[in-house]
Amino acid sequence: MADRYSFSLTTFSPSGKLVQIEYALNAVNQGVTALGIKATNGIVLATEKKSSSPLTDPSSLSKISLVTPNIGMVYSGMGPDYRVLVDRARKVSHTGYKRIYNEYPPTRILVQDVARVMQEATQSGGVRPYGVSLLIAGWDEGILPEEEEEDSTNEKTAQAEDEQKKPTGKTGGILKGGPMLYQVDPSGSYFPWKATAIGKSATTAKTFLEKRYTEGLELEDAVHIALLTLKETIEGEMNGETIEIGIVGPPADHLLGVEGVEGAKGPRFRKLTPQEIEDYLTNL
Amino acid sequence: MAAMFSQNPLMNGPNYSFNDAPKVNAPEGARQHRFDPYTDNGGSTLAIAGADFTIMAGDTRHTSGYSINSRYYPKVFKIGGTTADQHDANLVLSVVGFAADGEALKERLDAICKMYRYRHGKPMSVKACAQRLSTILYQKRFFPYYVYAILGGLDEEGKGAVYSYDPVGSYEREQCRAGGAAASLIMPFLDNQVNFKNQYVPGSGEGHALQERERKPLSRNEVEVLVKDAFDGAVERHIEVGDGLQMMVITKDGIEEILLPLKKD
Amino acid sequence: MSSPFSINGGACVAMVGKDCVAIACDLRLGLQALTVSNNFPKIFQYGDNVFLGLTGLATDVATVSDLFRYKVNMYRLREERHIAPTTFANLVSSSLYERRFGPYFVSPVVAGLEAKTGKPFICGFDSIGCIDFAKDFIVSGTATEQLFGMCESLWEPDLGPDELFETISQALLNAVDRDALSGWGAHVYIIEKDKVTKRLLKGRQD
Repeated sequence: MADRYSFSLTTFSPSGKLVQIEYALNAVNQGVTALGIKATNGIVLATEKKSSSPLTDPSSLSKISLVTPNIGMVYSGMGPDYRVLVDRARKVSHTGYKRIYNEYPPTRILVQDVARVMQEATQSGGVRPYGVSLLIAGWDEGILPEEEEEDSTNEKTAQAEDEQKKPTGKTGGILKGGPMLYQVDPSGSYFPWKATAIGKSATTAKTFLEKRYTEGLELEDAVHIALLTLKETIEGEMNGETIEIGIVGPPADHLLGVEGVEGAKGPRFRKLTPQEIEDYLTNL
Repeated sequence: MAAMFSQNPLMNGPNYSFNDAPKVNAPEGARQHRFDPYTDNGGSTLAIAGADFTIMAGDTRHTSGYSINSRYYPKVFKIGGTTADQHDANLVLSVVGFAADGEALKERLDAICKMYRYRHGKPMSVKACAQRLSTILYQKRFFPYYVYAILGGLDEEGKGAVYSYDPVGSYEREQCRAGGAAASLIMPFLDNQVNFKNQYVPGSGEGHALQERERKPLSRNEVEVLVKDAFDGAVERHIEVGDGLQMMVITKDGIEEILLPLKKD
Repeated sequence: MSSPFSINGGACVAMVGKDCVAIACDLRLGLQALTVSNNFPKIFQYGDNVFLGLTGLATDVATVSDLFRYKVNMYRLREERHIAPTTFANLVSSSLYERRFGPYFVSPVVAGLEAKTGKPFICGFDSIGCIDFAKDFIVSGTATEQLFGMCESLWEPDLGPDELFETISQALLNAVDRDALSGWGAHVYIIEKDKVTKRLLKGRQD
């Protein structure tokens, strides 16, 4: 009944723009900065936990969330909207994937599902767009056999082979597996990144990342760079309580809760404890 | 409806029982009388005829429904000896199905064979005994012995002979036969390994040009191994088969009985 | 006899070998005792090395095979990769359970090799999707009892592709010869790391 007389609030302006989406992006651009960096063996997500009052308990606030054991995300923009999206992402990863295939969705599939949710909010009646941008980081198990690392001496023969070799898939990434980092915007568009930032100081942070990012980065270096970038843009104090970091790394079997179960693998995505963050900060 | 989903197998299949329970929704005093005279006691039998021997085999489990009543309840019997220990018997009967009927049939055929011996002064031939067994079964055409019988021995030329029966006396001489609960598991294996069905001479051509692998009688040792393999397979997949494997080897020198273990789970 | 599973007849079997798997089916399609067709294959391919065997009610065999053709095509488009045998098996399971109270009358069998490791994989299902992961062999159809007897006595571990072909063929042929509702020729697939061999067996034509 309700949807019969409800119309989309997101309608085109005469110039062809959807101003509601631009307003949503404005909300994002006022949000606290969040960033993500992809390394060869993992990903780091980082953001600042800003509290409006010294009386808040920072340990109860959590801006980085686990979606599946190998996928996590962070946001910039409106906190309540983000929590709804986390719920939807967790739900859809089960109803739309795990309950069908008995395995968790690859990162890109989850990103598409979340992006669909956000897109629907730009075209449905009676709703407004989500006021958040997301950074979604995950690790995919590869489908193709791992290829031998070709050393420089074989480069010429390897090039010759390359010409004969047929491309096995459109996106080499998902077939070979490994770390994946995506940004999703209120419009429902999404982009893969090596490193990026969203929120208030996204431009500054991205300029900084462009300078510091190198190919073949390791996870430890990525965490280091993430903290340096955050330091450039942070407004408050920087310590284990005010910084939040999530990493995608090797399987964390200690988080499994059980031991000696054959084939059981720990989650790759985990949040760093305040103590771990302090340790990184002292080495900065 | 309740019986359909009952966990108690005794309520599902035919089982020996009398029933005169008052009928539900029937006029006052009306009773329905039922008499279910049969039970399936499970188990499997197997017989293979060789060139100069016959092997009769059967497992020794006795079941009703999902319960195991006995782990040693023989289904294979020597028939027609002069004494109770059947030391000079020349025939073997195997029965599978309703054990009580099997027992009764065995006793009856044994008595008939013994009478034949006393009257004629010689043991009954397999051929004659086979015909007589058919008659016995058919006489009870409308209240049959609920058994699948197999009769084994050596024919007049000394060759292995196997006769197999349905419960009402239809019979046939065969090279091999499996009977009982796991008959459908064992029979195709026998077709393949005893009669070499679906085996062709390699490189003999295509389609109708294919030459079937020549059939040759198996040695006693080969047959014993075959019987054991057949039962090991059946035990693995059929819950009514197991515990022990009883084998009777009939040769011109008499009947040798072999007892081998089978899985008891 | 009026069970939907045994109106049309048919048999299917899958076996594990050393670095290879095999799957085979008969070709009969019948209406009770009447044979309608002797060219009704029951094995379907859903990737380089993912195969599905379907026995049971023929109309459901056709429907279910097409349904999985659609689902696998959608998977491939969405994920830009081929479906793995284990993933496919779970898809079959969840799809069948979706019809828990009005099932398709089929008994599926999945056979394949894991693309990455080349590890053999087979499994079977009941009509509502309960998976039977087996290390040796899976049978289905109206000749299940006969197939169980044959497989249990002929199969052994670590058979090479050629031995596996001989074993699965003999198992199927001799089993269907003792089942009136199955037979009339067979299809046999031998699946190796980078080779799939399909053979047609004539078999008894009765």
